[in-house]
Amino acid sequence: MEKSNFESTQEFYDQWINMYKATMGKLIEMPAVGPSREKSEKMMKGVSTFVNLYAAGMDTSSNLQKVFMEAMQKVQEKIQTEMDGEISPEKYKEFYDIWIQTYSETFKDFAKSGHFVSDLGRLNAHLMDFQKYNREMLEENCLKPMDMPTKTEIDEINKELYTLKKTVKELATQIKELKGNK
Amino acid sequence: MNELTINTDFDKFKQGMELMMKPPEFSVATTPSEIIYTEDKMKLIHYIPALAKTHPVPILIVYALVNRYYILDLQPDKSVIKKLLGEGFDVYVIDWGYPSGADRYLTLDDYVNGYLHNSVVKIKERCGLDKITLLGVCQGGTFSIMYSALHPENVQNLVTLVSPVNFDSNKGILNLWAKGLDVDKIVDYYGIVPGDFLNSAFLLLDPFRLMIDKYVGMFDRIECNPEDTTCQVRNEDYITNFLRMEKWIFDSPDQAGETFRQFMKDCYQKNLLIKNEMILNGKKINLKNITMPVLNVMAEFDHLVPNDASIPLADAISSTDKDTLIFPTGHIGIFVGSKSQKEVCPKIAAWLKPRSLLNGKGNTGSSNEEITGSGNEEKTESAKENLNKQRKQIRRERVNKK
Repeated sequence: MEKSNFESTQEFYDQWINMYKATMGKLIEMPAVGPSREKSEKMMKGVSTFVNLYAAGMDTSSNLQKVFMEAMQKVQEKIQTEMDGEISPEKYKEFYDIWIQTYSETFKDFAKSGHFVSDLGRLNAHLMDFQKYNREMLEENCLKPMDMPTKTEIDEINKELYTLKKTVKELATQIKELKGNK
Repeated sequence: MNELTINTDFDKFKQGMELMMKPPEFSVATTPSEIIYTEDKMKLIHYIPALAKTHPVPILIVYALVNRYYILDLQPDKSVIKKLLGEGFDVYVIDWGYPSGADRYLTLDDYVNGYLHNSVVKIKERCGLDKITLLGVCQGGTFSIMYSALHPENVQNLVTLVSPVNFDSNKGILNLWAKGLDVDKIVDYYGIVPGDFLNSAFLLLDPFRLMIDKYVGMFDRIECNPEDTTCQVRNEDYITNFLRMEKWIFDSPDQAGETFRQFMKDCYQKNLLIKNEMILNGKKINLKNITMPVLNVMAEFDHLVPNDASIPLADAISSTDKDTLIFPTGHIGIFVGSKSQKEVCPKIAAWLKPRSLLNGKGNTGSSNEEITGSGNEEKTESAKENLNKQRKQIRRERVNKK
């Protein structure tokens, strides 16, 4: 049986990622030297963060693609049995009902599987890493040089405020209790 | 299926679009109320009583942080709050508000031992009582369980509505997904976890039905000719109700990061609450401290909080007066479905009424007759057996209807 376009894409991607890890990936991970080594290392880290996200995204897409193909096959089978193999404009509603029910059930079954749970967890973790990295770069290379407030600084202030508010509330409660005891 | 049907469906779509283009005015949470206490973004709302004389023990409804409390007062003919007022109860609800960046460090302790506790104290002072009834909904029910275990002296009755206490369930997709999530990375990045992040997760539960079929169905339910005015009014009502529900579904507040972190890790991932190992502000939550009357209400077809997430509550607590009810609805249908008004609210009210009296000293107490649940024979029956009985009854009723 001939490979589908997606299977070929998957193979190309697998070869690409293996090649990257064996070549560029190793260069990227090399420790930086020189006066700007700190900055260089941070910049390089962004490349591997992005590649990790891309890899997780590709794995998730590949698994989803398999699920959709499985759903499509089931729709084909149901059309043969429930619609006598005939899709016509007049029967569009029957086709829609079969399509929506089959895709919904197939996807829900996949959503409960260990594959999807691990795909989702991995994709989410790498996405958070990537976004966090981008924000750090933005703060360090754009906002701080322009003397603009950063989220990190605002979070520090919020933390102080929270601690102060909590202390004030506790003291107010103690005062109320002491007044009550008098 | 023929050309006539295609034309009918096209007419429905056309009518639906015409109705949507004259945007209907609608409002939610219309039951008259007043705000009696605020703390940071939290508001304690008191509903104006419907009857001159109410049952002495007021109800404080504790809703979840995810989504908004007004699902319980979505429209006048589908309002749990209005129904409870009509049954003669004095009703309060906590509006948690919309957390912002300044709230990112709020903890679960701040919500349970802070906002919830202060609201309970406020109601007690206002009503001159020692105890009140807590009615917790979904995650709000989990909070109410935690609060009742930590402060049983303040709680006369505890009602939990589709509330999880055991998070180790393979039947709930959210439970499965939560185990694979790196919660620390999410909170460390976002600080305040966006409501859209949670909405995406809810939509992913059944994306084809929730993002496509729901809207196709909306147009499909448009009926009759434009010339038929009565039917047109029905169509407009239908669209308005749909838009109300749509507003609520996507009105998701952001989540305070530290609260989200602890709730996800301690409840969903480690399941500490049912094991009596969960700690709030250095104090362990021991569910055995719950001794007050407890009513645990579940929805049979709940896809968000599966029944085995709620059933274990009965065996985890020390209460002798405890009941479990199950209704053939979904998670949201139990608030806004037809059964909510006809069965759920009346049964909750009937359970609460004899347990909402004063004992003559101004303190709250049950009636002079000992109330030990729905029957002495069920004292020894486990919650699971009780539920199985109810499920069989529901199936019998369905068969008889057919």
